[in-house]
Amino acid sequence: MSDLYLSHVRNWFWKSPPAEWLMKGARDVLIGTLKQGPIPKHVAFEMDGNRRFARNHKIETIEGHHLGFEALARVLEICYKCGVKVVTVYAFSIENFNRPRGEVKGLMAMAKVKLEQLVQHGELLDRYGACIRVLGERDLIPDDVLPFVDRAVEMTKHNKDAVLNICFPYTSRAEMTSAIKATIDEFTSPSQPSKAPFSQTRITQKIRSNYSKQTESLDSIRETSPDTSARSDVDDSMSSTTALDPESPPLQSTTAKPRRFPNAEHITADTINSHTYTAECPPLDIFIRTSNVTRLSDFMLWQCHENTHIFFLQCFWPEFDLWHFVPVLLEWQWRHKKILEKESPRK
Amino acid sequence: MSFTTRDTQIYREDEKSGHRKLGPEEREELVKVGGYTFFISGSIAGSIRPSPRLATSKLCYHSEANATYQNYLPAPSSRQRSSSRVKKQDSSRFGIRRFLKAQFYALLYLIIHAIFSLYIRIRIAYHSISNRLVAILKHHYNSPEYIARDIATLKRLPAHLSIILTLENGGKGDALEKLVNEVSEVAAWCTAAGIPKLSVYEKTGILKRYMTQTHRSVCNRLKIWFGKHQSPPVALFARGAPAIRSHGRQSLDLILISEDDGREAMVDLTRVLTEMVQKDKIAAKDITMDVIDNELSEAVMSEPDLLISFEPYVDLQGYPPWAIRLTEIHCAPDNQGVGYQLFLQALRKYAQATFKLGK
Repeated sequence: MSDLYLSHVRNWFWKSPPAEWLMKGARDVLIGTLKQGPIPKHVAFEMDGNRRFARNHKIETIEGHHLGFEALARVLEICYKCGVKVVTVYAFSIENFNRPRGEVKGLMAMAKVKLEQLVQHGELLDRYGACIRVLGERDLIPDDVLPFVDRAVEMTKHNKDAVLNICFPYTSRAEMTSAIKATIDEFTSPSQPSKAPFSQTRITQKIRSNYSKQTESLDSIRETSPDTSARSDVDDSMSSTTALDPESPPLQSTTAKPRRFPNAEHITADTINSHTYTAECPPLDIFIRTSNVTRLSDFMLWQCHENTHIFFLQCFWPEFDLWHFVPVLLEWQWRHKKILEKESPRK
Repeated sequence: MSFTTRDTQIYREDEKSGHRKLGPEEREELVKVGGYTFFISGSIAGSIRPSPRLATSKLCYHSEANATYQNYLPAPSSRQRSSSRVKKQDSSRFGIRRFLKAQFYALLYLIIHAIFSLYIRIRIAYHSISNRLVAILKHHYNSPEYIARDIATLKRLPAHLSIILTLENGGKGDALEKLVNEVSEVAAWCTAAGIPKLSVYEKTGILKRYMTQTHRSVCNRLKIWFGKHQSPPVALFARGAPAIRSHGRQSLDLILISEDDGREAMVDLTRVLTEMVQKDKIAAKDITMDVIDNELSEAVMSEPDLLISFEPYVDLQGYPPWAIRLTEIHCAPDNQGVGYQLFLQALRKYAQATFKLGK
């Protein structure tokens, strides 16, 4: 009983205006102080532990998510005040669709309401220079949420000061797959025709079309004959040199064959990187996962492979606040200093 | 800056009533006086000063709204500066206040970092002493029986363990020897624990150039541990190199990976796929996650269950991004060097971890 009474007194104290004013001052000073040192440009949060927090506090799961959203608002404010340019949060995984239907519905409703409210306050957002991007599989966003997503992104896209990446429905493997596919698309669309007045490909094309006009009847017979399959096997070595080959494919594919593709050898990690969702963002400096789970769980795999400081924290996401973030930032600044010290004597 | 209790209460009541309680205008009023913007949008930076005015009647803000608007919201260009500072800049002609404030922050920064530096040094000392003590208490005495006893209580073991090792001093001196030694040591622990697959990540890939020597060293170590005739055979793999196997049924698969197997391997795969699409062998739309996954796990390695980093903090150093999806990562803070106690600690943690994959 006395315990309960004490906690009431403590709550009353911390919620009293003078205490609140003092805490606010302390936070401001702390943030102003930390800004003196190096500041990470890109921070990613894996917001884990909403449900465990709800279970521990005996509240509804969706309530836990709502508290998690409040924590997100808090964290974003801290980050952007410190000068972090890009914050990436893992809002919803593709795997999360396997959760109980009620919870998924609740989360989607929450996303919809938040985005709807956001859209109503467009001109306010501009004052903060914040831009929202939604990363992930668009096709999987429910139809009733999608228009709000689009409008929120559209309304804020001209802002350049700060970026919030919301990963919604996202998995990193899906992202890497789509980046690889986009790279392949880039390298399999024919390169721009050169501006030279006489084009070799055009000449060969003309000759070939003349040639195949003459032998059209012959080709149509040949096409059905089994040797087409045999030809596809030698395709590898011949495709670039078949220009005037008497065995050249029939007309329908003559338009396809002489396409000149960019050399696939020119693909580098940067090419793939430029097709990931975070292409325009600076490299990831800090990765934070809460609730003491030490896995990446399909989040930012491509991005955090190097020079990213990964922190696994004990607290649940709804509890996350400045007091959890400051030690992380301090340690990052400290390591940053150490790394610089290590590098400088070598130079 | 932080939300006042009252703002939070109002926000939560609105939330509970299904967002019907506050209209857009009322929310905007809340923003002007409190930190509600962040609740609304969850995205915006800036600084808003909470004000006790919220307690007064609503009519009051409507009349005051326009006057307070400029004060409480930052101007579009000055997002980073706090509104209070903007005001002060206006009031002080020579910027003395700003100068003093900057000096104050710089001093405080030095003090905080001095304290933190002290703290982290104490922490490093504490961790190294405790690690040393545990290492003495939990030594394996080069005997497989001790290791088997240590892991007997664990509910499950990883089928595929991965470790990150570093080549010290850029490979000068006996760094390579030390590295090979560490690989053999961990291989022996794995064999004793019954873990069938071990992958060793080393950024530069120097081990791949000395595969025969590494294989011989691992085999010799296992002979010391298990006896000359009972020593289990080892197979050594690396991407793009022929596997080295010893005779008999394999009991340990050792995979060497390096930075080239990370992003570079994915680039290579993309090149191959691009060439295949260019030659119309496959259609671009047939390339799915399964295809890539299958190819990368065949050519590089499958997903490890547990990753142990023997570094002082988690740094992936270019570890293959595709494979690390659901891997449990273990790293003891401030740890230095390869130690059995860390191996054991990681296995214990793995046995307790729960996997739910998004559920």
